[in-house]
Amino acid sequence: MTDLNKLTLKEAREGLLSKKFTAVELTQSCLDRIKSLDKKLNSFVTVTGEDALKQAQSVDINLPLGGIPIAVKDNYLTKDIRTTASSRVLDNYLAQYDATTIKKLKNAGAIIIGKTNLDAWAHGSSTETSDYGPTLNPWNMEHLPGGSSGGSAAAVAADETIISVGSETAGSIRQPASWCGVVGFKPTYGRVSRYGVIAMKSSTDSPGPICKTVDDAANLLEIMSGSDPFDATSIDEPPWKKPELRQNLKGLKIGLPLSYFPPQTQPEVKEAILGAVETLKKLGAEIIELSDVLDPKYSIAVYTILQRSEVSSNLARFDGIRYGHDRSFFGTEAKRRIMLGTYSLSAGYYDAYYLKAQKVRTLICQDFDNQFKKVDAIIGPVSPTTALKIGASEGQSMFGEIQDMLVEPSSIAGLPGISIPCAFDKIGLPIGLQIMAPQKREDLVYQIAKLFEDNTDYHLERPKL
Amino acid sequence: MNQNIFLVHHVKPVKIVRHDKTMKTTPIIGLEVHVELKTKSKMFCGCSADHFHVEANTHTCPVCLGLPGALPVPNKTACEWCVKLGLALGCSINEESFFERKNYFYPDLAKGYQITQLQKPFAVNGKLDIDGHEIRINRAHMEEDTGKSVHVDGSTLLDFNRSGVPLVEIVSEPDLISALEAKKYLNKLQQIIRYIEVSDADIEKGSMRCEPTVNVKIETDSGEVVYTPLAEIKNVASLTGVMNAIDFEIKRQIDQYQSDGVAKNSTNKTTRGWDADKNQTFLQREKEGSADYRYFPEPDIPPITFTKVQVEEIRKTLPELPDQKITKYKSLSLSDYDANLLAQDSVFSSAFEKALNNSANLLNGAIRTALNENQSEIDLNKINATHFQDIFSKKSELSSTAIKQLTLESYNSGTNPLTFAKDNNLFQVSDTGALEQFAKEVIEANPKAIEDYRKNPLAIGFLVGQLMKVSKGSANPQTGKEILEKLLK
Repeated sequence: MTDLNKLTLKEAREGLLSKKFTAVELTQSCLDRIKSLDKKLNSFVTVTGEDALKQAQSVDINLPLGGIPIAVKDNYLTKDIRTTASSRVLDNYLAQYDATTIKKLKNAGAIIIGKTNLDAWAHGSSTETSDYGPTLNPWNMEHLPGGSSGGSAAAVAADETIISVGSETAGSIRQPASWCGVVGFKPTYGRVSRYGVIAMKSSTDSPGPICKTVDDAANLLEIMSGSDPFDATSIDEPPWKKPELRQNLKGLKIGLPLSYFPPQTQPEVKEAILGAVETLKKLGAEIIELSDVLDPKYSIAVYTILQRSEVSSNLARFDGIRYGHDRSFFGTEAKRRIMLGTYSLSAGYYDAYYLKAQKVRTLICQDFDNQFKKVDAIIGPVSPTTALKIGASEGQSMFGEIQDMLVEPSSIAGLPGISIPCAFDKIGLPIGLQIMAPQKREDLVYQIAKLFEDNTDYHLERPKL
Repeated sequence: MNQNIFLVHHVKPVKIVRHDKTMKTTPIIGLEVHVELKTKSKMFCGCSADHFHVEANTHTCPVCLGLPGALPVPNKTACEWCVKLGLALGCSINEESFFERKNYFYPDLAKGYQITQLQKPFAVNGKLDIDGHEIRINRAHMEEDTGKSVHVDGSTLLDFNRSGVPLVEIVSEPDLISALEAKKYLNKLQQIIRYIEVSDADIEKGSMRCEPTVNVKIETDSGEVVYTPLAEIKNVASLTGVMNAIDFEIKRQIDQYQSDGVAKNSTNKTTRGWDADKNQTFLQREKEGSADYRYFPEPDIPPITFTKVQVEEIRKTLPELPDQKITKYKSLSLSDYDANLLAQDSVFSSAFEKALNNSANLLNGAIRTALNENQSEIDLNKINATHFQDIFSKKSELSSTAIKQLTLESYNSGTNPLTFAKDNNLFQVSDTGALEQFAKEVIEANPKAIEDYRKNPLAIGFLVGQLMKVSKGSANPQTGKEILEKLLK
């Protein structure tokens, strides 16, 4: 068989179990794709190659992910595999242990084929701040893939892997998934353990899957989720289980916040979302326009202050004494964030910045609580625009925050959300629809997304490479 | 500091002269005490918390090494012990507490921040009574220890075995007014900590560490009041050291003020080290007031709740504390001296209470029973405490029947119990040689019973009975039984 790399998780599982091909063939096909494409695309920082093939030879394909190639964002610690967070500070750092998610993936039989590129330390929404160069958008290589999980999203879109994992702090799964036309599922904060994922903004970091279909993402989330004794903030519940599929969306109220269409919204993005609204209506959902949702622009300020504050503390351990490289190896963006965070936590500024931001965070959470009294779920665009051009983030210290403004509020509130393809713009770049639900209601997110996907064809489109 | 407290403590007001003014000085001392809890595991990971004389970097894991991605999970026992210690110090327990990050750089601080408590510690507002002077305790909060820097041949080695060991920091208000009072405060704190068994509180081994902060209030006759700049003293490794360091610092600050007239302000707090060899403090860091640790709530650990019910459950586990014991002992008409000395150490106080218990048994067991039988009143003159003591001293060699008999003999006839026991052959023979002889006789004489014993080990009872008979009741039955079993193996 050819083009095994193009398979979805579901198709690959079926093929392996019916012995149409082997795990080695499947893995080899992804590695071949990487070899032919990735010099240009740059989705991967590290490719495991031989090790992956060796693993594929002996893997038990009856395991839930037995023999399935997976691309892992390079901020997950992978024992004995280089883990850089796309920063030269960790250029030659071999992880000493496996992240909880990595353990679960290995136990489920997944084959780690490589570590994907990200904005250095996950600081950004473009992958342009990576010390290993930007990843390109598979749909148009003059454009950005988004970020920070840009490498994972691009690798999935370009069929360099069957599935991937990313992590989101405020948009880092949904925004690149949207720009790369794949499915990014950000779970409730605490649903997936953060243990072993290099901390960015600890209070909202949420690891999650990036895949080709809603079902693939949900299946992967089932394996990644569950309480972890090594993470005190993990939700004390058994692993999440996919709910029964609904026949239609009758009886569901879905909110459409008018404030999620800021002035800079690309007209095609707005059209795409309104088109999605029609699809959801046809499926039986009642769409309710929400006119009083807190303007997402406030989230930019809240997120920026809290994130910089936590970053300044989380990066302190890279003090030049261990890990090989000293602090001069930090890039401009990391330095800028450390400086700003140090400032916002300093005596005399703490009350005005950090504490104020925490208070507004509470207001944002309350706002969602109130909205969810009126509706079951909320939809909107993931990003005001489709993928911007390479270089767009340069000299824009607030690039990520502005690109991510429509996913920041739900991240700040720890809500689950998903990005699924819902249209393409004039030049063929994908547009993402996001679906958000109350905390721990991944079931609703899944049901709506799955029905939307089953009734549309956008997820079947692949970039011409 | 008011005049009364000053006098109660018999600290002589030091009169010194600067220019033409007379000055009165009052030391102001606060103590920060760090206590390492003796929990099995560390504060935020499963590593052994034992680090004393352990091979370097063997009790470590990603969490206490602060590796990328590692997360802290609080040790429940440590948190409960901190609450317990807080309760023993008369603190209120915050229903909701949270951890915070204290950010600073030091090579042995693995994460670049220490997890500690600032705004909402587990325990607040306690007190310790030192000879009638109430020393307020601001807080008892939970935190983690740092690693250790070891300086060898001009380079620095890092040992992370201590990194993440649970520490409780107990912060007093600056209520102490002399080195002696500080020493008493530390002694008492140590007693309480050992009583509740949460730490060895050993200053020499570093499981209890104290940092005094000292300055002096100076009043002139013209009514002018000034305070000397604050000095925090580090590296004091013994109780005597604490006293000497405080005394040295008080004198140094008064001298310094006399020579430069500089008073305390918000920026001139200093950190001084203690040199035990030279018996003096030395300047380590200036402008402590400007240090900024950029505290913020630890996002990796959700807030921790101790409900009133949970707090009461922990309170129930508190043993009787030294102060309560002293009150009790005094009510038993012990002298202040004896009461204090006994209560100082939980082993001594347990021994004393055991002795009390024994006396109670003699009185209630032997004498009361006899009095009841004769329907007579107790005659206090006939109770001979020395005789009681004699009986206890030989308790292990006497059967309970013999103890009763001796007590009664002493009460009724004033006979010395030890003489009586000897004369009447009441001491049990525990001497194995003699017992073996008796045992052999018994085995010889009872072949049938030996057979029974081989089938059913419970039949040993009969043989022990025979042994008691042969020895005319002088054998210690337990030792006798063991010897029989040995011989019959």
